[in-house]
Order: sequence, then C-alpha cells, then structure tokens
Amino acid sequence: MNIFSVTQFVDFVNTSFTSAVFPEGVTIEGEVVEYRVSQDRWIWFVLKDETAVISCFATVWQLRTPLEDGMRVRVFGVPKIYPKSGKFSVTVERVELVGEGALRRAFELLKKKLETEGLFSLDRKRTIPRFPERVGLIASKESAAYTDFLRILGNRWGGMTISLTSVAVQGKDAVSEIVGAFSYFNAHPELADVLVLTRGGGSLEDLQAFNSEEVARAVFGSRVPVIVGVGHERDESLADYVADIRASTPSNAAEMLTPDRREVVAFIDGGMRHVDMAMRAALTGRRDAVSAITAQIESYARRSITVFLHQLKDFRRHFAVFSERLHAKQVACEGFHVQLFSAAAAWSDRLTRRLDADTRLLKTLDPRRPLEKGYALVTKGGRVVKDAGQVDVHEMVDIQLFRGGLRTEVKEIL
Amino acid sequence: MTKIKQDTSNFGEAYKELEGIIAWFENEDVDLEEGLKKFERGLALAKQCKDRLKEVENKVVHIKAKFGALDEEHTDDSEDDQRALL
Repeated sequence: MNIFSVTQFVDFVNTSFTSAVFPEGVTIEGEVVEYRVSQDRWIWFVLKDETAVISCFATVWQLRTPLEDGMRVRVFGVPKIYPKSGKFSVTVERVELVGEGALRRAFELLKKKLETEGLFSLDRKRTIPRFPERVGLIASKESAAYTDFLRILGNRWGGMTISLTSVAVQGKDAVSEIVGAFSYFNAHPELADVLVLTRGGGSLEDLQAFNSEEVARAVFGSRVPVIVGVGHERDESLADYVADIRASTPSNAAEMLTPDRREVVAFIDGGMRHVDMAMRAALTGRRDAVSAITAQIESYARRSITVFLHQLKDFRRHFAVFSERLHAKQVACEGFHVQLFSAAAAWSDRLTRRLDADTRLLKTLDPRRPLEKGYALVTKGGRVVKDAGQVDVHEMVDIQLFRGGLRTEVKEIL
Repeated sequence: MTKIKQDTSNFGEAYKELEGIIAWFENEDVDLEEGLKKFERGLALAKQCKDRLKEVENKVVHIKAKFGALDEEHTDDSEDDQRALL
C-alpha cells in the first residue's frame, strides 16, 4: 500500500479529479445559498439540494453571472481540495441559471447594476449614419433572424456591403463569440459604419447571452454605433438597453438601419416637382415683368408718337396760318412799297416846288437887296442901329454897303 | 464602373445637397439666375441619387474568424447570398 504525504495526497486527488475522473470538468445543479463576495475579488457560495451541500469558489472577473441566494443554477467547474485548509470545493468556471425565476432575478439584478453605472444613459446614444454603406452584422447565419433581416433590408435599400460574423446566439459559446465579433469589428473599422446584433425570439434562457454582462459591455464599449434587435416585440434584453438604437425585432432592425428607397424616391420626386414649379413660377414672373416693361415702353412710345403727331399737325396748321399771314404781309408790304414810292415821289415834287417858292420868297426878303439899291445898314457892336438914340457922339459905328463897309465915328446926333 | 462606385459612396452627400436645394426653393424668393444653377444641379443630383437607388442588391461578405482566438480569414460568399436573397 502506498503511503502518501499530506501534500502528495492532496495533489494526487486534485490531479485525479482533473485528469482522470472529470477530464471535462463537472456540472452540478443545485440552489445557491450563503452567497458572499470577499475583497471584491473572491466569490464563495454553497450549492445545495434536499440532502447535501457542496462549497463553491470563483473569482469576480470570471463569474459574471449575477447570483443571489435561492437561485437555481448549473455550476461548471473543477472539484478541488484547497491544500491550505483541506476544504473541498468546486472552482467555478461559469454558471448557468436554471428556470425562469433565476433568470428573471439575474436579469433584474444586472439591469439595475448596469443602469446605475450609466450603460443605458440616453446621453451616450450615438446616431447611426443616415445612409450606411457598410454594415457589420452579428447574427447566426442559420437563424430566421438573419434571413428576415436581409430580406427586409433588401426590400428597403441596396448597394450596401454587409460583413457577416456568424456567431452562436445561444449556448455556452454565444457570449464569447458575440463579444469576439464586437472586438473584431472594432479592430477593423473599415468594415462597418454601423453594427447590427440580432437574433430571433426565445425564452429567457435562450436569450441569456443577450442578457449577459459581457455582451452588454461589448455593445457599450463599441466605437462603432450599434443597433440591437432581439426577439419578438415584447422581449427585452440588456443588450437592447445598451444599444444606440433598440429595435424590437430583426426586421425592425433593418427598418431602423436604412430608410425605405421608395420613401426616398418619393421625397426626391416630390421635391423636384416643387423645384420645377418654383422655377416655372420664377420664369413666368420674369416673363410677366418683361411683358409689363415692354408694354410700358410701347405705351410710352405710342403716347410720344401720338403727342409728336399732334404736335406735327398743330405745327403744320400753325405753319399754314403763318404762311398765309406771311403771304398777306408780303402782299401788303408790296402794296406799301408801291404806295411808299408813289407817296415819296409826290412828296418830293411838292417839296421841290415849295422849295422853289420859298427860295424865291427868301430872295425877296434878303436884307442885302436894299443895299443894292443904295441903302446902308448901320450896326454898333453887331446890333442894328435903328434909333439915333442908340448911339452917342464919338462912338464908332459900322456901315455896311452893297459892296464893302465903313467904320465911322459919330460926329453929331441929328 | 469606377464612377458608379464613386457616386455610391457619395449618396449621403448628394442627397444632403439635394435636400438643401429643395429647401432653398421652398424658402427663398427664387432668383432666376441662381435658381437656374441650383435647378440644374438639383436635376443632376436627383438623377445621381435615383440611379444609386436602383441598386437593389446588398453584398454579403462572410467573415470567417474564430472570435475567441481572433483567427481571421476573409471569404467572399456574396454571390451565394445574393442568390439566396433573390
């Protein structure tokens, strides 16, 4: 018989459990009691049924499923004796919740936790491109959700490139594959403007991956905006709450992703009809304005011509009157001319005759004529002396004779 | 082919510009000269957008990767999938 040291024995048992007895690990179903977390790092709980209990241990980062006393679970792990305490326990790798009650409770617990952390905050919701060209699709290729999504998408919009990462959407690989797909798309940003995570409806158990903390954090942490469409109308998942856009079904995810081309065509047609009408109105307006201006110019021109023609007519009339008057004046003038000349001739004759008579008269009145006959004219200082009283003795007087004159001194007044 | 590709990638921009033009005609007192330019541009954009909308198929590329290990392998199964869609 082999004799072990204590260390050897514990080692032997532990090795036997992992390599020989349970090479694929062990799965134990039971109810959680005495659940506790120490130092935010270690999780301890007891799994029990009606007649037995087994201690369980896990690390906080490995066990993301929210647990609570009273939950029914399936524990996947490795049984082990802890050498320092000799305590036998199961080191838990993952836990599956069993039954609607446990799942519902876990869902509520995690929802509350993530909500408190702000993962559902509306402030962080990003907008998706209006017309996405590249879509990253995270779905199971075999699922109805996948074909529904593509069918509805094809009805609405074309020309997109859809990169599909076909993942398990339930079962033990679902969480890691979904999380892996998010990592992949975030490492290849050239593949997608937007990510769509979708699957069809199912029980709370089927939808576990979509209610897992890991998937919720992957959606939250994605740099590419995410649309999540899981289940039927009434289903809810935590991934939904974290998503930038929450779609109610896979088909609805397609509807949220792109507009319907018919609506877009209708908008373009309607818009261009309006543009066409506006242009026609503008053209008509311009044409009317041109017509109005032309009409105005025409009316001005007509008016000017009319005025001009009136003026011309007036001018002609006035000119005719003036011509007549002018002619009359001319005739009159010619008459005057004749009258003038004849009058002038008569006047000249009369004047000549009168001049002759006057000359003759003047000759008879010439003061020198009596001197011819021997009379003399006496003047003193240029004045004619008619009275002897006008002169004094010894004064000098001039005597004008018919030919020549004398200056003499008055000797005596007679 | 290259041109179609270019137009395709610009659908969002073309549509946005077209919306702007349509809005301009709704809001502005249309100036004929500027309106005419915008009208012609709008017609071109509307055609470009509608041509793009005639593309009915979406191309599906399968990413074959082991997501746990990030073992990447691209394959293009789009032809199969397009047939499946039609």
